[in-house]
Amino acid sequence: MKLTERQSDALSELINIAFARTGAALSELTGHRVVLNPPEVAVYRTEELRPALAKFVPGDVASIHQVFAGPVAGDALLLLNYDGAVQLTDLLTDGHNPSAFLDESAREVLTEVGNILLNASLGMFGNLLNVHVTFSVPRLHLETLDELLASITTGKTDMHYALVIYTAFQIRDSSVKGFLVIVLSVDSLDRLIHEVDAWEAQQSK
Amino acid sequence: MTTSSKETLLNAAVLHWMHDLAAQGIITTDNELNVVEWNHWMEEHTGKGACDVIGTNLLDLFPELSARRLNRNYKWALEGQVRVLSQALHGYLIAMPVVSAEHGYAQMQQAVRISPLSHGGEIIGTLTIIEDVTERVAREAELQAQVEARSQLLSSEKLARNEAERANRLKDEFLATISHELRNPLNAILGWAHMLRLGKLTPSNVERAVETIYRNAKSQAQLVSDLLDVSRIISGKLRLDVRQVDLISIVNAAIDSIRPAAEAKSIRLQMMLDPSAGPISGDADRLQQIVWNLLTNAVKFTPKGGKIQVKVQRVDSHAEIVVSDSGVGISKEFLPYVFDRFRQADASTTRTQGGLGLGLSIVHQLVDLHGGSVSVHSEGEGKGATFTISLPFVGVVSSQKDTEVASEVRNDEIASLAGLPSLKGLKVLAVDDEADTRELIREVLRECGAEVILSRSAAEALEALEQHKPDILISDLGMPDEDGYSLITKIRALPSDRGGHIPAAALTAYARTEDRLRVLRSGFQFHLPKPVDSAELVTVVASLAGRAYKS
Repeated sequence: MKLTERQSDALSELINIAFARTGAALSELTGHRVVLNPPEVAVYRTEELRPALAKFVPGDVASIHQVFAGPVAGDALLLLNYDGAVQLTDLLTDGHNPSAFLDESAREVLTEVGNILLNASLGMFGNLLNVHVTFSVPRLHLETLDELLASITTGKTDMHYALVIYTAFQIRDSSVKGFLVIVLSVDSLDRLIHEVDAWEAQQSK
Repeated sequence: MTTSSKETLLNAAVLHWMHDLAAQGIITTDNELNVVEWNHWMEEHTGKGACDVIGTNLLDLFPELSARRLNRNYKWALEGQVRVLSQALHGYLIAMPVVSAEHGYAQMQQAVRISPLSHGGEIIGTLTIIEDVTERVAREAELQAQVEARSQLLSSEKLARNEAERANRLKDEFLATISHELRNPLNAILGWAHMLRLGKLTPSNVERAVETIYRNAKSQAQLVSDLLDVSRIISGKLRLDVRQVDLISIVNAAIDSIRPAAEAKSIRLQMMLDPSAGPISGDADRLQQIVWNLLTNAVKFTPKGGKIQVKVQRVDSHAEIVVSDSGVGISKEFLPYVFDRFRQADASTTRTQGGLGLGLSIVHQLVDLHGGSVSVHSEGEGKGATFTISLPFVGVVSSQKDTEVASEVRNDEIASLAGLPSLKGLKVLAVDDEADTRELIREVLRECGAEVILSRSAAEALEALEQHKPDILISDLGMPDEDGYSLITKIRALPSDRGGHIPAAALTAYARTEDRLRVLRSGFQFHLPKPVDSAELVTVVASLAGRAYKS
């Protein structure tokens, strides 16, 4: 399944609303202006995820993972490479001594940041689809990309597609790249795209 | 009771126990945020009993939640979102005293999860779980500090290594400079000496050759004596001959000696010498060296037509010597290193200006030895420089005579044989195994009217003593077969009518104090350091005349 240019643009626009909210929330929390770059959206089959992501996140991956359930169900993840995760927490917490590792406090901060971003994005989809989704408690994992992908795809035969949203956090003259990955069943994705088309049609009226 | 209702009751009982035993705070509210459950941990840490809070609205109970805009998290939870509140970004949710105050936190540090509670697709309340992370956060900060300290240690080690490498490089550069500086005058000396040997020079060129050789040898001798000074200062062997000296005449002498160089560059010398500034206690030679070094530097770095100002003034309990010039100035970056050994502003200046970069370091050390201080000021490159020396008036007893004696500052540069005492009618016996030195002594003493007899060895000298009955003996110490000590011992053993009491001076390159003492004990009255300075030689011979040796 490929997104048409219009669909892709419409999705980007919608997600951008969620990202703007996330940026505002993080700015308020940290006292620094935080901006998330306009997202780029693509759809991959889950088996294409590995080559698509490996290019951007070599080595260990920090992911904040939330499962969502309801009429639309799936896995939502914020993905950062390890160094990016360290940098992001340092930037957000005014890290006076830039650290080289993620201690418990840093992991907690990442979890909160991921939680804010995932809530904003999925909440926006929920509103669009006019469905109510419930979330699991967010969890942070540090593992290789392969381990991560295995954990979100095994045993889920209907999970065929992943919406990959690329962005970067801009904080205090620094930029940290990240991916929002939403793994969906075919049904859920169909429904989402259908609603995106409808929204787009309404916008252009 | 049905199985399912039994199960429900059991579950409720287990949950109750778990909540009470939990090592975390657990708050349950209904969908209007009225407290439904408040576990034992919460009672213990807030001091509020469950019976006092259950049924009360959480936001009324803790108005701070709304004030800190944390109430939004409950609104989102009621919309179905799970919220995470990290310690690093929030500190705490509900203010509670710390269990142990040793970590320096005024409030318990908390990690919080706020979740919706739903039933049949409907949200019926919220669950808040509060974890005390004070201990952990403090430990992390400690660890972070250790990591920081270790990386600082690493970087300071790196710094030390860089510093050592830099010092080494400076030494290398210095060696390169020294070779260059020593070779430069040598080239001129060798070149002109070679032409003199060929004997084809016109009389005016001969004069020029001799003048050039003299000037270059002199400058080389200055380099060597600078080096020796530095090495003496480094090894702490430099001793000051402290007496009462007149600062004004010392400064005047130094100015006189650089005047020709300044005039050659059309540099205007302006002097403001306040007579109330002297006398002070100090080593006249070294003080003159200090001023001379500063002036030489000023002349060197001031372009043609520039100006040098020398000021001597009294400031409280100090005498101040201020040397300012309108020269190339000193950059801000180099200013702190001006007095460092082997340091010169940059390689290109080194090349155009020459010198070893030792002068100012020597000035600094010598001023230090005098208990004074030296400072430098420059507005930057091209804006001139000002050196200020401050010397304390210590232990000064006003004695006009002493001052006069000490202010007879030796001034090699301007000394000319013409101004020296006459040695007419004196017969001098000079003993040295080196022909050049012998010749030099003969020329210098003859010039002043003395008759000179030369001997190449101790044996020859003893013969000459018998034969010519000289008035004065000048002898080298280090000679093959028989040295100067042996010679003087033999002479002193002779009766006075055979020359046993002849006034004698020793000539030596060994200038250490113990050498000097040995010289005097063995029977010489004077000690003349090599290389021989013409003026000094003549003065010594003149003062020895008529001073028969008394054991």
